[in-house]
Amino acid sequence: MINRETPGSSTAAPLGNRSALAKTATVEAGGSAAGRFDSRDTGSALWLMAPALVLYAIFSLLPIAATFWLSFNSSAGFNTASSFVGLDNYAATAADPIVWQSLWHTLLWLIYHVVLAGGLGLALALAISRLKVTQVFFRTAFFLPHLVSLAVVGVIWANIYDPFYGLINTALTELGLGAFTQGWLSDPALVLFSVNVASSWQGFGLYMLLFIAGLQNIDHTLYDAAEVDGASAWQKLVYVTLPGLREVTTFVVSLAMINGLKGFATVFVMTNGGPFYQSELITTYIYRLAFQSQDHGRAAVLCILLSLLAIVITLVFNRWRARLSK
Amino acid sequence: MSTRHREWPVVLGLAPVMLLTLAPFAWLIVSSLKTEAEIGQADPYAWPADLMWRNYQDAWQIGGFGELVGNSLLNLAGVVLLSLLTCAPAGYALAKIRFPGREWLFYTFILGLTIPVQAIVVPLYQVLFGLNLVNTLSGIVLAQVSSGIPFGIFLMRSFFISVPDELIEAAKIDGASHLQILTKVLLPISTPAIQALVIISALSTWNDFFLPLIVLISPEVQTLPLGLVRFASTYASEYRLVFSGTVISFLPVIILYILMQRRFTEGLTQGAIKG
Repeated sequence: MINRETPGSSTAAPLGNRSALAKTATVEAGGSAAGRFDSRDTGSALWLMAPALVLYAIFSLLPIAATFWLSFNSSAGFNTASSFVGLDNYAATAADPIVWQSLWHTLLWLIYHVVLAGGLGLALALAISRLKVTQVFFRTAFFLPHLVSLAVVGVIWANIYDPFYGLINTALTELGLGAFTQGWLSDPALVLFSVNVASSWQGFGLYMLLFIAGLQNIDHTLYDAAEVDGASAWQKLVYVTLPGLREVTTFVVSLAMINGLKGFATVFVMTNGGPFYQSELITTYIYRLAFQSQDHGRAAVLCILLSLLAIVITLVFNRWRARLSK
Repeated sequence: MSTRHREWPVVLGLAPVMLLTLAPFAWLIVSSLKTEAEIGQADPYAWPADLMWRNYQDAWQIGGFGELVGNSLLNLAGVVLLSLLTCAPAGYALAKIRFPGREWLFYTFILGLTIPVQAIVVPLYQVLFGLNLVNTLSGIVLAQVSSGIPFGIFLMRSFFISVPDELIEAAKIDGASHLQILTKVLLPISTPAIQALVIISALSTWNDFFLPLIVLISPEVQTLPLGLVRFASTYASEYRLVFSGTVISFLPVIILYILMQRRFTEGLTQGAIKG
């Protein structure tokens, strides 16, 4: 599925696979001279592209371009006059300690999410894929949290973490482990991790499905060969399974990082960035600057930072994946 | 025989992990049927003396969940329909027609696939405001369709690329136009791709919070996740209402998933890998 050597696989690695695209072009060019196009084909293509292109231009491309413009202007709110201020917004952003804090929290958030959700997804996939009779049952059960909206997950886990009536503290007290109860969302050292557990609880199901698909793609004769050589279960895991999962792993890690980067709803619902900005992410700070402080210039600078992070993550992982698939 | 032998140890190991994973659901459902006083006893292992189905009636009425579900369904129908109508033709053009600027367009859509919607939210709001679309369901539908277009196009394109060219050449010789090729030849054999696009766009629309938070301001137009968050903060001290409202918000999708889990699983896996 992921390994397929068709030009279509370039979509799984869009940025890292120009050669595949070039291949499609040459194949389809057939015998005609390169650069010549049938004008009727071109006309139909434009009509077929038009609905998507119009919507995308108005609601995605225009805003992408306008974000740069906004970052060089100051404005006191929506629909108020703005003035060109050069790099002032960039300077103000760099001097804002909360920006650096939210950037640090976002990086920690990414790491927590990759380790918690990605790790659990991999561990469960390894266990579940060995099952015959109960595989579908466990796969279905473990996937259930992924169906819940992250905003609803926020409401659920805000109640789970409730210090007096929440599931965790009451369950610990009833078990005689009252000493372990915490202010899960009020302790500045704990809050980011606590909220991330909620997000990762929602996220691991998809990664688990992807790892299961990856495991099913591993050539089964490799296991038979290992068995003939007298390999132990551990050796088969280390020398056959894990190398066979390398490609899907880079995909899951990049997906988890991008999902982590977009993390917003659970933090917004559970803590709104608090206490004292201790769970503020770049996304929640963008929302605060844009829609509460009405400081669009500085919000736009952070938007550009967020886009750059997303682009870098995508490029690095596509490069890596392209190298693996060679 | 050896697989049978291995099944049960793994099942025994997985069972406690599954109980922990699903404990939040069980706790919420049981708590949602308790009285306020029983919730106040803070004993998660206690069963309610009487099942308080009234909590659901009260939450449904006070929270206006009927309206929220209705809005969410309209929102979902609009996004799924428009996504299919925009992404299938565009995916076909990018996959099977040679035209100038194709590669350039391809990279333009990759840009949109990479940049998160949170990073364009300020001007996006201004565009919607300028078009009088703030606080309307049409506004949220257009914004969501647009942010899903790159993914949808790549999904359809990668499926259409795998269709042999001979099929299309044969239709061309019979005098079919590109639109006819798409609707009469390709779409009838594209069920897996359409299924993946429908499931993924439906689920992400139903669960979306960020765009509705920005676009949908008055309660009458809000969707389910946004409405639940507003409800839960308004009635934060009435746990029985918050719990039953939360169960109302997640249970329907979970039941739907259990009923058609094979399609969901296929669609989500295919979509994630190809998109």
